[in-house]
Formats: sequence, C-alpha cells, structure tokens
Amino acid sequence: MARYTPDVQAGLDRIREMAKGNFDLGWMDSNPDGWGHKVAPGPSGLRMVDIETGHYAPKAGLGSSAGTMAPRGCFIPEDTPPCLDMYVLNEMTEIWSENAAALYDEAVVRQWNSVTDIPWDKLEELPEDLEKAMCQMCTGLTEVEFVAGDMPAKWMSRINHDFHEVKLFLATQIMDEARHLDVFRKRALANGGGLLSASPGQEELLAAILTAPDYTTSSALMHIFGEGFVLTLFRQGEFLAPTEVEKRIFRLCMQDEARHVAYGVKHLQYLIERHPERANEIHALLDVGEQAIFKLTLEPQTSEPRAILAGGGLANIELGMVRIAFIYRKQVREYLNRMKVAGLDRSSRITIPLEVPVEELVA
Amino acid sequence: MTLSIPFPSEQWFAALAGRMAERGDEFRSLGPVNCTMVVKVDVDIGSQLIEVDFEAFEVKSIRSLASLDSAKPDHFVIEAPLEVWREMLENIRANESPDLEHTLNFLTFPDDPMVVSGPDQLKTDAFYRYNESLQRFFNGASSIATSYSA
Repeated sequence: MARYTPDVQAGLDRIREMAKGNFDLGWMDSNPDGWGHKVAPGPSGLRMVDIETGHYAPKAGLGSSAGTMAPRGCFIPEDTPPCLDMYVLNEMTEIWSENAAALYDEAVVRQWNSVTDIPWDKLEELPEDLEKAMCQMCTGLTEVEFVAGDMPAKWMSRINHDFHEVKLFLATQIMDEARHLDVFRKRALANGGGLLSASPGQEELLAAILTAPDYTTSSALMHIFGEGFVLTLFRQGEFLAPTEVEKRIFRLCMQDEARHVAYGVKHLQYLIERHPERANEIHALLDVGEQAIFKLTLEPQTSEPRAILAGGGLANIELGMVRIAFIYRKQVREYLNRMKVAGLDRSSRITIPLEVPVEELVA
Repeated sequence: MTLSIPFPSEQWFAALAGRMAERGDEFRSLGPVNCTMVVKVDVDIGSQLIEVDFEAFEVKSIRSLASLDSAKPDHFVIEAPLEVWREMLENIRANESPDLEHTLNFLTFPDDPMVVSGPDQLKTDAFYRYNESLQRFFNGASSIATSYSA
C-alpha cells in the first residue's frame, strides 16, 4: 500500500525535479500584455483610480466567465477550476458605479474611530428629558446601522471578482456601518442613560431592503432612499446636538453616509442608462419603501425625541414639532432630486406627501 | 500692528488656504477633499462670489467669479448675507472654533440663515461628504484679522 496519496506523491516528484534544477518559470512570461505597468502617485497618494488603467481597467459587460477568484488583468491558466457557484452577479450593470473606485480611495483615508476621535470627555450631564431623547435617537440609529451593514455583506460575496472596485467599496461601507452602530450605542450608554425602544416601523423598511429580489433594487432602497433619509437625520442630529460630542459624531457619520448615497445614485444611473426597461420594477419597490418610511416618520419613538431636542425639552415638544417640520420636506425633496440624477423621475409618482402639515396638527 | 484682510476676497481665502497648509497633518488625518465650493456673499448691491477648489489635502485654486455660470461644473454653493458670514467668522475667532450654533451644518440645515445648493443633488451632497474638513477649513479664520465691507 502506497504511503502517500497520488497528489502528495506528485508533489514529492516535483520537489525532486526542482532539486535537480528543473524549474518551470512559465509564470514569469504568462501575462505579457499586463507587464510594464507603471504608475506615479498623485497629490492624494497612490489611489485605486490611478492604477486601474490600460490592461487593468474595468471592462464593461460580463466579468470573468471562468467563474474563478482570479484577479482582473492576470493570466488565467486553462485548467483553473471554476470551483464555486457563489459569484452570481457577473454582469457589470448589476453592480457597477463609475465612482466606486474613487469612493473606495476616499473611504479608506477618511476612516475614523469612536475610541479616540470623539471628545467623550466633553460629555455633559443633560436634563433627563433631553438625555432620554438623545438616547432614543441613538437606539433607533443603532438599529438602522445594523442593517446598513448587513445589506452589502449579503451581496458582496456574490459579486464577480472582476468588479473588485465595488466589492472593496462595499467593504468600506460595512466598516462605516459597524462604526456607526458602535458610536451610537456608545453614546447611548455613556452618559447615564441607556438604550430605549426599538422601532417596529423600522422593521418593515429594513426588511424590504434585506429581502429585495436583486442587488439593484436593494441598493436603490438602501443607498439612495434609506441612507439619503438617514443622511438628513445625521445633519439634523448635528443641528440638534446638545454638546460638542454629538456634533462631532453626527458630522463624521454624515460624511460616511454621503459616500454611500453617492455610490447608490451613480449605480442606479449606470443601470438605468443601459437598461431603461428596469425602471418600472424599481419604481414599484420604491412605492413600498415610501409607504414604510412615511409610517416610520410618524412613529412616536422616531419623531418625538427629535421634537424634544428641537424644542429644548419635553415642555416645548409642540414647538419642537413645528421647528422640525421642514426636515421631512427636506428629506423628500433631496430624495426626489437624487432619483432624478439617477434617471428615475418620481416627482409625479411619489406615493407620500411632499410635506407633513405639522402646523395644522398642533393648531 | 496686524493688517486686517477684507472678507470676502481672494486674498482672504488665500490666507485661509495658508492656514490649511500650515495644519497639513490635521487635514491629512481627516482625509482628502475633492470638491469645488463657491462662497456667495449677499450684499446690498448684489452678491460676491469666490470659488475655492480643493484637491487632496489643500486648496488648488481660488478665484472671484462674475456669475455662477462661470463656476466649475462640479460645484456647490454656500450662500448667506454678509452679516451672517460675519457673525459666523467672528464666533469662530472668539472661540477658536464655532460654538454649537455657528457650525456650517447648523447654519445651513434649516436653509436659514445660510443655504447650500448645487447644480444637482449629488454636487450639493459634497458639502455633507466633506463637512468636517470644510468646518476645519473655516476654523482657520480664528487667526485671520478680518474686515468686512459691503
């Protein structure tokens, strides 16, 4: 009985050949078209957008049909086994965005952390109503950020390796969302308060994102619609922040969120320009998303904490509602504007009011 | 005696760009800024426009504009009356950074007293995307003696 398996025996035979000086070295000349590539760093350093040129540039259409994990631009030997069925997003239009590489470059340099970049020592004891309002906002945002990380994580492993710009950008988004979850949870637990109520209203919207039938509709719902609304909430958070601590948190989160929105808008634009027939299907999903977010907007644990912060306390919650009425209008306006840039005009199709008549409600 | 620099002017923004260059490590730690900001200052007799083009970790160019039509296509605009700009800059000078009610986001979020706009929403979103860096850029005003003239 042989002591080793045939594979191990073949390896040992190969080692014996190398010991005699018989090397292959075929790999050295395997990719002549890709050899001689040279790039100089620019003012921002050596970015991905600088290196992905010529032979290594992304190519429209189907990604590597070999179904392998080989990096784009290398030589792929014929006997490379397409061993996995997991890379099912092989058509560029399904995931591509012209700004993905630039956003990745930007994201990796603009990373921050909740451990040392937030001036936690400047936290101040707040009146109980304001602390509860801030903690409820942070509870809701923590809940949302969980899903904003889960969505790209769900799809990233299905994307063809030829489109690594998108995969890498989504990896930065997952890290961004992890940091947001972390920083909002930290804020809720750091100042004598704690987490308050979860949001049933959010579940419906978040479920629609996670169960969307394909990547593009999931991206439209999350990157443009959901994150666009959250971007405005982050701006609102900075606006209402009672101390420099929250100001810094929301400003830094705002920057991250704007990158995610920028990816989503340009991805949808890329798809719609090439597949206008997909527009109706995406419109239909957005109809559902709009209904869900409208219900969410009016949920007490979502709207009331913001009104308390805007009014300066529970005693002035009605005044706070009036003060923040413009926020919903702003969210809807910016959402419609982003959709227009992406190539989907929803101005005549939107299923929710353009503004909430808060002044009537409190009259 | 320190001579004051008039706001708004190319000279004033050049001084601000100088402060940014002096604090290069701080801006490097925040990450690159690639956007074009047009500062629109409304005065009694019209508006003054200054375009500030950021690239990587510094200001690439500063120029006065006759109208927004001559701005770079990828720009956003921050607009406010002179007295609002003055209050913001004086607040920064008094505290070395703005208090809670004089940050760029605080002043622009309700569209009053400052307004941010752009040729399209994605260009406007650059103001959000680089907000911390833009705030620190304006914080450089804390060490610039400034005069204000309509």
